[in-house]
Amino acid sequence: MAEAIQKKLQSELEKYQQMQKDVSKSMSARQKLEAQVTENNIVKEELDLLDTQNTVYKLIGPVLVKQDLEEAKATVAKRLEYINGEIQRYETLLKDMEKKSDQHREVLSSLQQEYQRAQGLAVGKA
Amino acid sequence: MAERNKRNIEVPQGVDRLRVEDKKVVKGCEVQIQHWEKVKGDYEALEDQLKTLPDEVSYDIMVPFGPLAFMPGKLVHTNEFTVLLGDNWFAKCSAKQAQKLVEHRKKHVRSALDDLHKTRKNFEARVGFAEDLEKLSGAKGDYVDIREEVGSIEEFVSKGKQRVALNPHSKPKMEAIVKIEEEEGGGEGDGESRRGVPSEEELWARLDELEAQEELEEEHDRCFDSADTNGNDDTTSSSSEEEKDGDDGGHHRVNGHDERSEGRMSVPHNFGKVNGTTRDREEEDERAEEEGNCLPTIYFSHTVEPKKVRINTGKNTMLKFSELKEQKRQAKRKKKNGTSNGHSHHGLHNITTPTDIYRLFVDVKNGEPIPRKSILKSRSRENSGCSDTSESSAADFEERRTFGRTLSHDENMYSDTSDGITEEDSPTGNPLHPTRRFEAFSCTVVEKEPIPSSILHLTITPPALPTIPERKLEEVAPEAPREAPKRVSKFKAARLQQK
Repeated sequence: MAEAIQKKLQSELEKYQQMQKDVSKSMSARQKLEAQVTENNIVKEELDLLDTQNTVYKLIGPVLVKQDLEEAKATVAKRLEYINGEIQRYETLLKDMEKKSDQHREVLSSLQQEYQRAQGLAVGKA
Repeated sequence: MAERNKRNIEVPQGVDRLRVEDKKVVKGCEVQIQHWEKVKGDYEALEDQLKTLPDEVSYDIMVPFGPLAFMPGKLVHTNEFTVLLGDNWFAKCSAKQAQKLVEHRKKHVRSALDDLHKTRKNFEARVGFAEDLEKLSGAKGDYVDIREEVGSIEEFVSKGKQRVALNPHSKPKMEAIVKIEEEEGGGEGDGESRRGVPSEEELWARLDELEAQEELEEEHDRCFDSADTNGNDDTTSSSSEEEKDGDDGGHHRVNGHDERSEGRMSVPHNFGKVNGTTRDREEEDERAEEEGNCLPTIYFSHTVEPKKVRINTGKNTMLKFSELKEQKRQAKRKKKNGTSNGHSHHGLHNITTPTDIYRLFVDVKNGEPIPRKSILKSRSRENSGCSDTSESSAADFEERRTFGRTLSHDENMYSDTSDGITEEDSPTGNPLHPTRRFEAFSCTVVEKEPIPSSILHLTITPPALPTIPERKLEEVAPEAPREAPKRVSKFKAARLQQK
């Protein structure tokens, strides 16, 4: 009886650890996205500071490609929106994962208690 | 004892960990700050370059050629810059435009630096707190833990009734009055004769005990949430407790049921409540313990307070009288002579709280002084006891009345008071002792005495109204000896009419 509980405990523990890893991965991805958001914001502001006289280039691979200022602004704005959307998605994902990990934690703790009780019984019997 | 020890040991460990973590955050902040400072320095150097580069059309320089070689060459197009805007975007700009961009970036750097500085300050403060907490729990500092083991609450509940809202239409308890008179008579007589006899220290000790009791009772009664709608008494009690802390404001419920041997009362705080109670706590039931990590602790418990009685001041209200209060007031004032009567006729210059004012205005009925409900009513004042036993030298009844009304003015309307004073005969300076710290009425009281106008004192100087003294000076000087005022307060007018 005690061993069965122990095995269950182990499996639950592993699942919980996996969940934790997923959570941390999502967290780091989200942080990267945050950094990109700030960067794109700066680019947008600096593009606003410029006027049409200056030529704007985009680095595609080893090539600097000429771009129109307006085009560049539009592109940057679109990219910003995209990144924000991604951040939202990751947020919801993180929330779900948190909830799941909480549930797992509760299951774990209850299993632990059972195990301890069983152990106590076993010690009593023995 | 063991569990307390364990608790004390656990707390320092937790606090230690907290301190360590806080310090880590602080260090992280510092690293970040350094990084951003470097960036800022770089941008500033860049700005300088941008300013100087366009000075010449072309420069002769040594051009790096691979990782190991240089070649002489020329730097041309000195006004054209290709700026990386971020995220693989470039822009060709002139020097001035590039400068603008650099300024914009520097703004970002500055804001980041500010945030980091703020966080670092916050966490440094937290570290300080954690260290203090450590000191506290580790008994390394001068902190002393004061504890009271609270017994079961049932014993409070069983003794006496809980407080009930005073029904304004209910008849006040008459039997209380008789008790008072007896107690007072006996107490007063004994008190006077014995005043010199008990040593001061005993008196102080006793007073401190009683003070501590009252505080405990007040704290305890905080739990019981019955509203006390006793209007009159609330004003007297609350006004006499201005010195109390703000959080005690809700506890001024005065309640003097006879049955309860532990009631609550409003404590006049003319005399450093805090000092008194801490002193008391250290005196009563003191057990200082030092065990390993334990703080030195002082244990105390409260004692039973003597009874309190109610004075019937009229149809609706009762003044709360308590021997305790009176003992304290008298002892603290160190009165050697004169009226020891509890609720009436202290010397005019002994008024420190509005309660004293009420006590002054007592009606003498059947030879017994009974406090009056309202001192603003313009009833005939011949029965008023305030003229009889006051210690003022000028025994003029009229002056007494004026003074009484002046006092009542002071209670309610500061500006009117000053007017009232200027209108009447030249006020004299008879300033109260200003050294008492905790008083409801912090100004001086003016006694009316016939004195030449050359001696004029600005006796009433309410601190909140600085213009009034000037006004008084103007008005008093021309009108000094005359009795014909321009403006008469309605009370004075009523009195004049009555005469």
